[in-house]
Amino acid sequence: MKRYDLIIVGAGPSGLSAAVEAAKRGMEVVVFDENEKPGGQLFKQIHKFFGSKEHRAKVRGFNIGKQLLEEAAEAGVKVVLNATVIGLYQDKEVVVKIGEEIHHYKGDSVIIATGAAENMVTFPGWTLPGVIGAGAAQTMMNLHGVKPGKKVLMLGSGNVGLVVSFQLMQCGCEVVALVDAATRVGGYGVHAAKVARTGVPFYLSHTIVEAEGDECVTGVTIAEVDSSFKFIPGTEKHFDVDTICLAVGLSPMSQLLKMAGAKMEDNPKRGGQVPICDEYGRTSLPGVFVAGDVSGIEEASSAMIEGRMAGIVAAEYLGYTDEDDMNRNVESLEKALDGLRQGMFAPENRGKLVEKTEEGIDVSMNLLKKGYVADDEIERYPGVTHKVGIHPVMECTQNIPCNPCQDACPKKCISIGDNITSLPIVVPESECINCGMCVASCSGQAIFLVDEDCGDGTATVTLPYEFLPLPKEGAKGIALGRNGKKVCDAEVVNVRSAKAFDKTNLLTMRVPKEYAMKARFFRATV
Amino acid sequence: MNSVNDRNRDIGPFVPAPDDDMLICRCEEITKGEIRKAVHDGMWTLTEIRRYLRTGMGLCQGQTCSKLVKSIVARELNVSPAELEPATSRVPMRPIEMRIFANEAKEDDDYE
Amino acid sequence: MSNNTAEVIVIGGGVIGNSAAYYLAQRGLSVIVLEGSDHIGNGGSSRNGGGVRQSGRDVRELPLVMYGIKNLWPHLSEELEVDCEYHQDGNLRLGKNEKHKEILTNLANNARGCGLDVRMIDGEEVRQINPYLSEEVTCASWCPTDGHANPLTTTLGFYKAARKLGARFISGEKVLELKTVKGRVRKVLTAAGNTYEAENVIVAAGFDSRPILGSVGIDVPMTRSLLECLVTEAEPYMFDQMLGTAEADFYGHQTKHGSFVFGGSSGLEPFNKDNGTPVSSAKTAPCICRGIMKYFPDLANAKIVRTWGGWSDKSADGVAVVGAIDEVPGLYTSCGMSGHGFGIGPAVGHQLAQLIATGTTDVDLSPLRYDRFKAKI
Repeated sequence: MKRYDLIIVGAGPSGLSAAVEAAKRGMEVVVFDENEKPGGQLFKQIHKFFGSKEHRAKVRGFNIGKQLLEEAAEAGVKVVLNATVIGLYQDKEVVVKIGEEIHHYKGDSVIIATGAAENMVTFPGWTLPGVIGAGAAQTMMNLHGVKPGKKVLMLGSGNVGLVVSFQLMQCGCEVVALVDAATRVGGYGVHAAKVARTGVPFYLSHTIVEAEGDECVTGVTIAEVDSSFKFIPGTEKHFDVDTICLAVGLSPMSQLLKMAGAKMEDNPKRGGQVPICDEYGRTSLPGVFVAGDVSGIEEASSAMIEGRMAGIVAAEYLGYTDEDDMNRNVESLEKALDGLRQGMFAPENRGKLVEKTEEGIDVSMNLLKKGYVADDEIERYPGVTHKVGIHPVMECTQNIPCNPCQDACPKKCISIGDNITSLPIVVPESECINCGMCVASCSGQAIFLVDEDCGDGTATVTLPYEFLPLPKEGAKGIALGRNGKKVCDAEVVNVRSAKAFDKTNLLTMRVPKEYAMKARFFRATV
Repeated sequence: MNSVNDRNRDIGPFVPAPDDDMLICRCEEITKGEIRKAVHDGMWTLTEIRRYLRTGMGLCQGQTCSKLVKSIVARELNVSPAELEPATSRVPMRPIEMRIFANEAKEDDDYE
Repeated sequence: MSNNTAEVIVIGGGVIGNSAAYYLAQRGLSVIVLEGSDHIGNGGSSRNGGGVRQSGRDVRELPLVMYGIKNLWPHLSEELEVDCEYHQDGNLRLGKNEKHKEILTNLANNARGCGLDVRMIDGEEVRQINPYLSEEVTCASWCPTDGHANPLTTTLGFYKAARKLGARFISGEKVLELKTVKGRVRKVLTAAGNTYEAENVIVAAGFDSRPILGSVGIDVPMTRSLLECLVTEAEPYMFDQMLGTAEADFYGHQTKHGSFVFGGSSGLEPFNKDNGTPVSSAKTAPCICRGIMKYFPDLANAKIVRTWGGWSDKSADGVAVVGAIDEVPGLYTSCGMSGHGFGIGPAVGHQLAQLIATGTTDVDLSPLRYDRFKAKI
């Protein structure tokens, strides 16, 4: 039987990262993936990632995927696509369906990096065509170029629900509402804010009563729920939609490990049934490791780090590297992983209401309940300052591990400091040159360049703009506030696109000066 | 580890609910009411529910419904879902045509 | 734990233990069933091909299975209020060559001697009964009163019905040993440290029966092998018969649901290992698929959705051990079922219940005695 040093199941972020580290250390590695394209979820992620440079922050997910594939090719990793692993048997025998045949392989080590699958929730009508997972919507849009629907209701305010809502709008869908039974928005505030400012209403403490339609979804009714998640009569709201998108969490696809006899546990914090493993991904089966969502739901950046760890640990297990190399590298990877697991959304804060930022500032309750920071709340954050002339306004109000903005500014106007979760501050005495690099670098689309008083009674606001058609200079329209409601008329005075902006366009609109700190989105009037 | 479970513990009577006709397992078309009734018939583990009703035995092998079934059973038994062990996973991970499963590649066959 | 005493303790919550509990409870006896695993019906009872057949049986088992097919199976679904999916549409035991024909003819002759309607037919007649069978099949034994049922719902149906009649079931209660009091079986000790007491104890715990019986000095020579089955997605209706082969290397049927359940072997079964839970071997399912396609070329595109393995306890002569253990008054067993336990399960449970309640049986169980195993010279 053909034997590999390492067989990896799943060519997503963690599997490929593991493959790279193992192959670099001289192992013969093969990666099997059932899909026709490698990269797992990475190629569906068209938004810019958070984090620091070492996490490839501000790079769009699909570009990280491309980089990873190049790295894997360079390291000599063999990636076999359309290859479905149908079983992990005893003695690390992996049976793979490739084409019209099945193949038996032995791995001296095996890394399971199969990722996760979407959860569903039930309500009358949940089986109607038109009720789809948010991940499925992403696959349709971003991999296959298919618009999932015209009018969409999104259930789930975690990062997936927020990011996919934004992408649905980018793809030309109307998102009629973002609904969550929880009392607070689950995902990053900046993701929520960029959706809310386009006019999508948030309904927290609400959930779906029923999906309507005979053959397919034609509408949906939601209603408010009380603290025990019971519907409150009289709070029903109806929307005409053709699509209901569910972003209600993920479950690890850990079946291969279970069938192989790995010790499993049911761990709600990790998203469901996961193999019991140590921090390096060693399972109860000697030589079988795990990395990525299969061992606990996180996100792509941590999956890549976990993958690298598992690859190095597998190399050490088989004597392809020594303990020193392993300990040194794993230590720095652990640091990187810890970096991602800090701040308000750190695993230990899951489900908790964090009321103050690390700086001691009150967290915006409007942001948590409605998806946007209210006008009377925004001034309390250190990124929001006033100055004569053009200056950056950073509406970054939660401690998340992300810092590309401080390196983006060539004039060092922005500082986060050594603590990656700190809120960005405007460096006193610094001089903004209106280059726009900070606006484009912010993965949360939370930085604006504002000239509060142009001297003629107007102000200009430069905002990140990632929709088509791109308004042209001179276009007239309305400015929307953080809450997505009209604040005033506006005119586009400048539109900038540059390679360095990586497809984030910078749209500058002119508004009456009293709206300088209120106008945050532009909508052209047709 | 196996834990002693007295199947004659009183879990109260089966009380019909308005959403009992809602489909839970789409592959095998099994409703919430059938699952709840099965619990009152004594099927207290997800494995027993699966064998008794076929939930999760269809094409998706429980990928969609296993968590849903689990929460329904847990609620009926008045225990935390984490206490219920998920049903066993079995080969094949994905449905596979008999002729392909039968067709084992020869030793050194190249798949590229 | 409250009241650990009953008139009968049944060790093993499989089809035999559950049916015994059901028929005992029906007779008004108090019963406690102790199942070692976490799930009722977790052994061979849920891991077999669902055959309810008489043909191909050893003559020692035949009266028992004929009794069940005549008296119990026909009304089981109504009685248990569970769809056991019992079909009595005949059994084709297939042969492909002269050697097979000889085996089948011998079995058929012996069975006819016991009064069973079974006869040899040729390939053409086989295909009249089941037109999907390939030309490779040249002969078969045909027993029109054989059939198949759903092992899962039948096993759990007995459990449900017995529980409803007041039988007490405890899962996760692994029995370690039996103890006699004044020469009669009395106490049942478990791994969890619990003690149960009864006047009568039935040991129906599959391969685990051996150490349990061993604790009171009884040994039934048996081994075990890991047998495997697979199931397809639901397919359009094709046929109702139960199928088997001369060499017993392939068996199965189409279920009510439309899926095909087939068991088979790679030939390595007695030597397979597990990892603590019965698992399938990488070699077996492909082999079963090749076997099926030789008999049923039309099923080549059917998708396999699941495979499973289960331990089968096999006695030294390949025939079940059923009945009272005279040396230890109050002790009964049904073990070493040798892969035949499901079809005769209801009859075994029924007869053991009758034996305990009345001291007599309708079927003579003496050919199935525990102490029949003798040295060859």
